[in-house]
Amino acid sequence: MATAPVAIAEWLGYATPPLWLEIVLDAVIAGVVVTIMLTTSALAGPWAKRKITAMFTDRIAINRNGPGGITTIAADAVRLMSKELIIPDGADRPAFDIAPAILPLSALLGFAVIPMGSGLQLADPEIGLVYVFAVSSIASVGMVVGGYASGSKYSLLGSMRSVAESIAYEIPLVVTAASIVLLAGTLRLSDIVAAQQGTLFTVAGVSIPAWYGFLNPFALALFLVTSLGEVGRNPFDIGEAGTELVGGYITEYSSIYFVLFFLGEFLHIFLSGAVITTLFLGGPAGPGPAWLGIVWFGVKIWAVFLFTQWCRAAIPRVRVDQMLEIGWKGLLVLSFANLVLTAIIVGVIHT
Amino acid sequence: MSQTEEPADGEAEPEESPARGVDYDAIEGLLGDAVVSRETHRNAEGFVVRADRVQDALSSLKEEAGFDHLSNVTAQEYADRFESIYHLKKYDDPTEEVSVVVPTPRDRPVSQSAEPVFRTADWHEREAYDLVGIEYDEHPDLRRILLPETWQGHPLGRDYNQDKPQIVTFEEHENPLADDHRDADTMLVNIGPHHPATHGVLHLKAVLDGETVADVESDIGYLHRCEEQMAQSGTYRHQIMPYPDRWDYGSAGILNEWAYARVAEDLNDIEVPEYAQVVRTMSAELCRIAAHLLALGTFCLDIYGDFTAIFMYAMRDREVVQNILEDLTGQRMMFNYLRLGGVVWDVPEPREEFFAQVREFLADLPNRIDEYHDLITENELFQLRTVDTGVLEPETAKEYGVTGPVARASGIDYDLRRDDPYGYYEHLDWDVITDDGKDNYSRLLVRMREVEQSARIIEQCVDLLEDWDEEEREIQANVPRTLNPEPDAEVYRAVEGAKGELGIYIRSDGTDTPARFKIRSPCFSNLQALPEMAEGEYVPDLIATLGSLDIILGEVDR
Repeated sequence: MATAPVAIAEWLGYATPPLWLEIVLDAVIAGVVVTIMLTTSALAGPWAKRKITAMFTDRIAINRNGPGGITTIAADAVRLMSKELIIPDGADRPAFDIAPAILPLSALLGFAVIPMGSGLQLADPEIGLVYVFAVSSIASVGMVVGGYASGSKYSLLGSMRSVAESIAYEIPLVVTAASIVLLAGTLRLSDIVAAQQGTLFTVAGVSIPAWYGFLNPFALALFLVTSLGEVGRNPFDIGEAGTELVGGYITEYSSIYFVLFFLGEFLHIFLSGAVITTLFLGGPAGPGPAWLGIVWFGVKIWAVFLFTQWCRAAIPRVRVDQMLEIGWKGLLVLSFANLVLTAIIVGVIHT
Repeated sequence: MSQTEEPADGEAEPEESPARGVDYDAIEGLLGDAVVSRETHRNAEGFVVRADRVQDALSSLKEEAGFDHLSNVTAQEYADRFESIYHLKKYDDPTEEVSVVVPTPRDRPVSQSAEPVFRTADWHEREAYDLVGIEYDEHPDLRRILLPETWQGHPLGRDYNQDKPQIVTFEEHENPLADDHRDADTMLVNIGPHHPATHGVLHLKAVLDGETVADVESDIGYLHRCEEQMAQSGTYRHQIMPYPDRWDYGSAGILNEWAYARVAEDLNDIEVPEYAQVVRTMSAELCRIAAHLLALGTFCLDIYGDFTAIFMYAMRDREVVQNILEDLTGQRMMFNYLRLGGVVWDVPEPREEFFAQVREFLADLPNRIDEYHDLITENELFQLRTVDTGVLEPETAKEYGVTGPVARASGIDYDLRRDDPYGYYEHLDWDVITDDGKDNYSRLLVRMREVEQSARIIEQCVDLLEDWDEEEREIQANVPRTLNPEPDAEVYRAVEGAKGELGIYIRSDGTDTPARFKIRSPCFSNLQALPEMAEGEYVPDLIATLGSLDIILGEVDR
């Protein structure tokens, strides 16, 4: 990607690309990527979600419009956007209006540093991993603001639960990720991906790549479970809890605000899939030429997404106290154990 | 199945003295000067008790004579008086019954409340006050229960003006935005009337202390459809039978119909042919399976919080039962299959095909149940959520008149199919399921095991029906076109519905329509015990407990 600005700069008569050109180009690329991400996740995401959940639960799901009912999603988009935007009397504006934007925004910001393969990575800062966790946790602000500003008790309860959940699960999540940092020796995401390029070992002619998921499956399992809690999916969807809090912090949202929340949640699942892919599944690595990287990356993200849908279809929701107990007393301890163990192993290897 | 008494006689001759093992003279002595006179109802002796001695009479019956189950409270208005009837039974042996009749003058209908003796009288007396207009002294909370607080008049009273339009807005009845005047540290949350977990239109006023339920009060009546009034204007022979289908509409139609069939057959001395009894038993148990599967599915929906595999599997299996019932009755939900004296028609031709269909379902059922156990009861997270939540102690359950799977999951060995036999149950080999867990998990487990027992019953019925001589397939007794039971005959009879003891009281006035038709809904009593189970627990457990009670609001509100 570094060659493209240089080439354009030479064509325009500059020796080195000026700053404005870099910014413009980045903005264009970001726009294209984000559009692709948005449309795939907003169109294919809910469609696949509905189809897959239907398969899990012995149903057929949408099949009337278009092949396999895919255009139903477009109709849904029109329907959702043309619905009346109801703002409750007790809503605290403009907080009520800002909240829906925070959720997708934080997820999209997170995607900026993910190496998606085929040379697609908008930025590659040294502290990439920290950045991802930092921006994705802004989402909790959106939930709190939305829940509080709605002026509804259900929303308030839901947002309080979401915050408790975020705090309880953020720490084990980061600590587990830190064990990968120990292995890779860097926070830069492209370097973490590069560190997973080799071959771990070869079994009967099949070479197992040196992905950290294979190297430390325990950390992968821990991270998967913790990120379920972080994105608030079953069995940890207590912030929404349809049958108890009728949607939690999104209870009072309708029309486009609802869509934004919905979109934000989907993007967060995909973002956590992207982080898992980058940290544990070798990023865009896969057989075939390097330009296929984005395809492999997509496949891995979808695998994680499928996992969340599987959990949704099969696991009961835990209670709020039980969820905090699992987070603080279980996952936190396990993640620190994992960190210490990894540190010892890495230390032994280095000496 | 153990036979403790001589129920065959009791069933065949309802005319026989109601004293099935009860020494009524001793009871009269026990009640002493509280008794004014004595009257005979079809099911039991009724002791007319002074309005200011109700508590004395009931507590000596409860403490000393062992009548620990206040099954129902019927209120009615005569030309010269009001009357409350307390139908008492024993949990150990529901064939031992006694009625306490409390007349009050029309100009001052005040009688002593039974609430201090039986907690369950709370709601029953509120209903009596609401619909008939009797007031109860010392009642802790005498408000309307089914109708809005601002309603004018008492609809089942004689002076009620039916033509007067009454429109009550929600705000007027129960303003959801009204200030909560309780402790400032708590928060009032209205769960319902429109909420995914209320299984209908139920309004729970939950006072939360953080996430803990400090207090919960049910506000019912949103689905009140004047079922009693409608039954009172229908003729015994044909016009009442369709209504029971609409009480517990969760596929339990035939079980409800049987409640009416039993009481009306007792009242009119109708003998049901044996063949019809077997068909009834089979169809009723099919209904029970369908109803329990629905209960299982919706309970898991409450726990899992999503339309998960389990809900859809339960629906899938229930669908098979529905198809069988549709073939049998012609209807999927509102069966209207029973008739006084039998059933409306025989099993559909070709019989072999129908029985093969039933057998196929029964053969597949054990695998299905195993699948449910794999998915639900053996799931650690599910156990984490349900074990030791919503605990209902047997003593409390009896106080509230709790029956059905909810009572059996609290270890109360009470099933009218065995204890007060009707139909063909006493000739079949099956077990009453009880569990000592007392929690949400037990209630689910009891329902799942009852499905297995129902399957056993159906299998035996199919065996019997297949071999039944073609000449002797009598599906209906010879019942007159118009039924006019003798005037002032009173009878209260109950059957084991899907949710518990579903009873009906009928008083005849010599015409072809009942003078008073009172429904004892098991869900009504079971729901009343919700605060005992949910207070002090977390909100999600309140929802789970409500789900495990398996209430159908159509039956609660009638």
